[in-house]
Amino acid sequence: MHHSSSNTSRAALERIVERVGHLLPAQGPIQVFVHHNTLHAFEHLSFHDAVVEAGRLYGCAPYLTEDRYRDELRRGRIGDADITAVLEADLGGRRDELVFGSTTRLELSRLLVAHGIPEHTGWALQWELDETDALERARVDMPAEARERAGLPSTRDPSDSETARYVRALWSACQRAAERCEASSPRRDARPERLRDLVLASLDIDIDEWVHPLLTRVTGAFLDQGLADWPMPGRERGLLPCFLELYSRPLARLGGPLGVTLQPLVKRELEARRDGWTSLERSLEQLGLPPETWEEFLEGEALALRGFAGMVYQFERRPDRVPVYPAPARLVDFLSVRLLLVRAALTRAATSVGFNGSLAELRSWLSQSPRAPTPSSHERAWALFHVAQLTGLTAANVQDLDARALERVEAVLSELDSIERRRVLHCAYERHLRHRLFDALTRHHPPSSSAPAFQAAFCIDDREESIRRHLEEVEPEVETFGLAGFYGVAMHYRGINDAHARPLCPVAIRPRHYVAELGEATTPALRRRLLRQWERARARFDENVHTGSRHARRGAVLFVVLGALWVIPLLLRVVFPWLHRALGRSYEGLQSGGGRLAIEHQPGERPPVGEQVGFTPQEMAEIVFSQLSVIGIRDRFAALVLIIGHGSTSLNNPQESAYNCGACGGGRGGANARAFAQMANLPEVRRLLAERGLCIPSETWFVGGERNTASNDVELYDVDLVPARVRPRLRRAVETLEIARRREAHERCRRFESASAGLSPRAALRHVEARSADLAQPRAECGHATNAFCVVGRRSRTRGLFLDRRAFLVSYDPLGDADGAQLERTLAAVVPVVAGINLEYFFGAVDPSGYGSGTKLPHNITALVGVMDGAQSDLRTGLPWQMLEIHEPVRLSIVVEAEVARVQALLSRSAELRRLVDHGWIYMAALDPNSSSIVELDAASVRPYTPERALQAIHGGSRRHYEGRRGHLPFVAIAPSTEEVA
Amino acid sequence: MTLWIHAAVLVTFVAPLLMLMALGVAALGGLGGERALGAVTRVGLVTALGGALTALSSYLLTSARPPSLRVGTWFAAGETTFALDLAVDSLSLGFAALSLLICNIVAVFSFRYLHREPGFRRYFFQMAMFVVGITLVALAGSVEVLFVGWELLGLSSALLVGFFQERRGAVNNALRVFAVYRLSDAAMLSAAVLLHHWTGSGNLIALFSGDQSGLAPGQVLLIDALLLVAVACKSALWPFSGWLPRAMEGPTPSSAVYYGALSIHAGCFLLLRAQPLLAASTAATLIAASGGLITAAYGSLAGRVQTDVKSAISYATLTQVGIIVVEIAAGLELVPMLHIAGHACFRLLQFLSAPNVLHERHELDNRLGGALHRPSPTRRAGVYLFALERGFADALLERVLVAPFRLVVAKLDALDRRLVGDTSRARGRAP
Repeated sequence: MHHSSSNTSRAALERIVERVGHLLPAQGPIQVFVHHNTLHAFEHLSFHDAVVEAGRLYGCAPYLTEDRYRDELRRGRIGDADITAVLEADLGGRRDELVFGSTTRLELSRLLVAHGIPEHTGWALQWELDETDALERARVDMPAEARERAGLPSTRDPSDSETARYVRALWSACQRAAERCEASSPRRDARPERLRDLVLASLDIDIDEWVHPLLTRVTGAFLDQGLADWPMPGRERGLLPCFLELYSRPLARLGGPLGVTLQPLVKRELEARRDGWTSLERSLEQLGLPPETWEEFLEGEALALRGFAGMVYQFERRPDRVPVYPAPARLVDFLSVRLLLVRAALTRAATSVGFNGSLAELRSWLSQSPRAPTPSSHERAWALFHVAQLTGLTAANVQDLDARALERVEAVLSELDSIERRRVLHCAYERHLRHRLFDALTRHHPPSSSAPAFQAAFCIDDREESIRRHLEEVEPEVETFGLAGFYGVAMHYRGINDAHARPLCPVAIRPRHYVAELGEATTPALRRRLLRQWERARARFDENVHTGSRHARRGAVLFVVLGALWVIPLLLRVVFPWLHRALGRSYEGLQSGGGRLAIEHQPGERPPVGEQVGFTPQEMAEIVFSQLSVIGIRDRFAALVLIIGHGSTSLNNPQESAYNCGACGGGRGGANARAFAQMANLPEVRRLLAERGLCIPSETWFVGGERNTASNDVELYDVDLVPARVRPRLRRAVETLEIARRREAHERCRRFESASAGLSPRAALRHVEARSADLAQPRAECGHATNAFCVVGRRSRTRGLFLDRRAFLVSYDPLGDADGAQLERTLAAVVPVVAGINLEYFFGAVDPSGYGSGTKLPHNITALVGVMDGAQSDLRTGLPWQMLEIHEPVRLSIVVEAEVARVQALLSRSAELRRLVDHGWIYMAALDPNSSSIVELDAASVRPYTPERALQAIHGGSRRHYEGRRGHLPFVAIAPSTEEVA
Repeated sequence: MTLWIHAAVLVTFVAPLLMLMALGVAALGGLGGERALGAVTRVGLVTALGGALTALSSYLLTSARPPSLRVGTWFAAGETTFALDLAVDSLSLGFAALSLLICNIVAVFSFRYLHREPGFRRYFFQMAMFVVGITLVALAGSVEVLFVGWELLGLSSALLVGFFQERRGAVNNALRVFAVYRLSDAAMLSAAVLLHHWTGSGNLIALFSGDQSGLAPGQVLLIDALLLVAVACKSALWPFSGWLPRAMEGPTPSSAVYYGALSIHAGCFLLLRAQPLLAASTAATLIAASGGLITAAYGSLAGRVQTDVKSAISYATLTQVGIIVVEIAAGLELVPMLHIAGHACFRLLQFLSAPNVLHERHELDNRLGGALHRPSPTRRAGVYLFALERGFADALLERVLVAPFRLVVAKLDALDRRLVGDTSRARGRAP
């Protein structure tokens, strides 16, 4: 009997811990930064419910502040028409209901959303009334019609005597009115209260301040990937056993505020030989918590230090993603350690105030803090007072309102509380931008294209929009494509200079193939050997300095003898980063190029990771076929096809990997591009492709490459293998790329306030190069900031449009896709990646220190898996403020060039896609392949779009449009000009 | 030549002061953009560095030993004068030049690192305070100048630890650092008062050059002991080490310049200047040597298990600071000078590139052709616990210093409340 009940409660506890785990941040070790929806645990809810619910749970903002949106409203970034449209859709048939007089619900809602009501409650309101001139002057933003209706002079001075009289009379009328009607209770639940909050409120003791330093230290040591010289002893047995072993020692009594109460507790726990589950259960019982409150309690405790808790959970779930030592972490161990600390802390807090009962009685002993009160009559009068000003009611009008009308006003006010107003403003903010893209797409008529001189494929990344555009502006005879940047090649890859292999593909795929770069005798053997030895010796010297600097005697000798020499690297790296970069590059130049990819399958060999070495010809043909058939290149091969992957280099940037290619799982995509090109050049593969109907002309040659999105370096691989007949084309392509990357750097520099506005393209390139090599630079590049759209379709629909680096561009040819299967595959691969990027930026920008990781400046790398703020804090997950600064948080709009019916059919087939679209995590629209009509849609409904604005055309290249402007730019059509020289 | 050197020293002394005033006005009035503030800082720092380098090189080239420079007299009363003296010797000019070079580098770093940070003005004002402080400490020829410099150092340090005012942890830790630095200042002030009382002037130059005439051995020991407390608090020597990891809250460059490069060595520098005075008392020498040794051992033990990069570097720094103190106690001169200079430059770079540690590890792994991670054999759990808990140094400070202090303050507060309560009741208003 007892046995089975403990079994059921154990099973319940397991489920609870599992659910709690899902609420924790899903960011793994920071070396591999994978963008994902910050609120992935809430995707089963509609977007707006999710942001409110998550905001409550995590203590984060659901949207930007009302002030931010109103600034945008003043700037014209949100239009009145946008607000009205959103409200009309929300209110439906209720829009024309009269609230009072002739004021409709729509009209009142619009005024409330556009102008807002200052949020003051309780003492703050009293202060506002007593100490400011709130009752002397009308609102500055009182609409002109309202002034007229209230019979006020239409002067701009809101504090003339007549207005003051009006305002004073209005306030007393509102106070009387508020007393005439009942208060409605607030709609929103407060944040759940933790035991710690109770203790803090009644004893003025924050037990988290005792618990967290110890817990972060222990967890950090347990997860450490090699920052400390000595690993935690016994950590192979798990966090709880390790903790019990250490902190049961008598010595532990000396430590910090908890030592005295913790040590005996831990000792008893060790002697009782409890594991994580039994220890957790025991702690919950000791705290006097009935089972039905466990979930809320554990949720609160886990979320209080959610960065570390989440990292523990990630170690447990994905040990394969841990870089060096996957310590056997379990969330239940973490929680049981935490509860032991909480018990020790509560015991100490209780004894310090003279409470001697058991912990179970503590909660009832502590005074309950009051719940959120219903609004006072003052507060309601305040709201009414502002409603009256916005609508132009006079004191007499207010006097005449009957109880029913007042109730209706109250109802509207409680429906449009601050969060709801922000929701409406936010939807308007998104709608405005979305419609500008739709305008551009419907009004754009791309020039007809001729046979291309060469073709270039880039990643779908929003940062490639600009380089593609500039390439096309420099060379009108180029054709560009956008494909997911791993180019279908999912592999474990080890470069010639890499110590380890790493997976290069989307995180959802676990690659089977292993590809290594092997050395080839392109440089004389002796020189290569010497260089290699010199390089090893240098590396060993660096290693000795690194370890020696931490040791007493070795360090002392090092610093006395050589220390002063460090002023040289110090000056080079901090004061002259560009010189440091130049020296580094010329040294690399000495080292000769790398080797070649061993891409072909080696049947007998066993790979160090994955299942097989290299790809078979059939596998290669399948990869090349699937990639090329989607983009509609079939019958138009140029003699040269460039395949360009991307990566990013930056220094002093723990989140460096977040700038790399998302489709390569946060790695650099050059190897994938190179592998793809090599596959497509193999005669055997081409033969197999021809059998499947894809004929690549024999004179066509593929060249792989990598672009560094920070420094704009472009490196092409295996150019020595390019046949002589293609070389002139290659030269032309390289020259074009050279100009394009300069111009791209120039365009990017407009976003960097520290790059002066008058830079030439050449100087701009030097500027971005120095940025990526600068230790002092917290903004190496813009990353995905400002991303807002994804266009899936032919480049001809967007070619010549200035999309301001805001769109992921996915090549898809609707004409070559008879049954929609290709579209389905493309969207299934692309949408999770781009939606993940977009939503991570979204939530980071909405609450940079809650969902993001705050400013980078105090970040402190911990355990080589994450960053803390300063000396001691939780692990900070999410993107740093410096990456989000220029981002506009808008949900991604995906525009697919396909018939409406096809997209809807696809939505109804794909559960994942439908969930994202129907719950409002992304917007979906279909662009007709044969006309310029756009239809917004979800699984159930369609809303054809009527173009609102004309498309401006700019002659003379992108530079004419962006030059001298720092902010977001309108989308325009760019007519290239040939006279412009770089 | 003397005039030339004195002029250069004066420039070194005045340029940071003018810079501090300009930045102070800017910070108060909310004036000036990043570029303007950057230009002011740059001009001030480069001028000061130029002055220091000129003075140092001229001093080394000339055979004549110029006297100290009296900038002015604060006030004089009877036999006692409070003079503003600047020392002109290789040690003071050398340390001034090193400090200003490092400040220049850090300023260049900070212009870019703090770009668009809301506290940009505040940061540069506080850094300027630091520059003035360290220059005064380096050049101090009288205890008055030294004390002002010492205070500015401590104040700016605590303010920068609490730079991110919106974070509770940062402010708490800043307060802790401030408290320990106040202890240091109190010891320094006591030393200054005693010195005046016993010798009638605050002249350090005579005192530090081995002329202890007029001081009894017991008096020397007391002054040495006070100086040692001041130094130990400032340089985080054991048993005052507990605050050091707490100080890693500010922006990376401020942590670098304070706890990697300069502030942490300020104590060593002072001890080096006071070496003759220290050597005059065997007991004090022994205390200093053992303090240094314990600190080095403690730092290297705690440093081995720290799992965040800034704490790990700060304990590594502490280890070397301990050794430098031992070198000074052993009567060496050139070695600790080189040690301070080399260590400051190295740690500065290491601190500034602390956020780069993942990138560097990865590159080093690749160049070595395998993982750098070579964990030492696991130590005994007791030793590990001692190291992980940072030798309980923080708890020690808490128990010995903070708790009693807090108790006194709480008692005073209660008394205060009672008195105020009585008065307000007397006036007929509830408290």
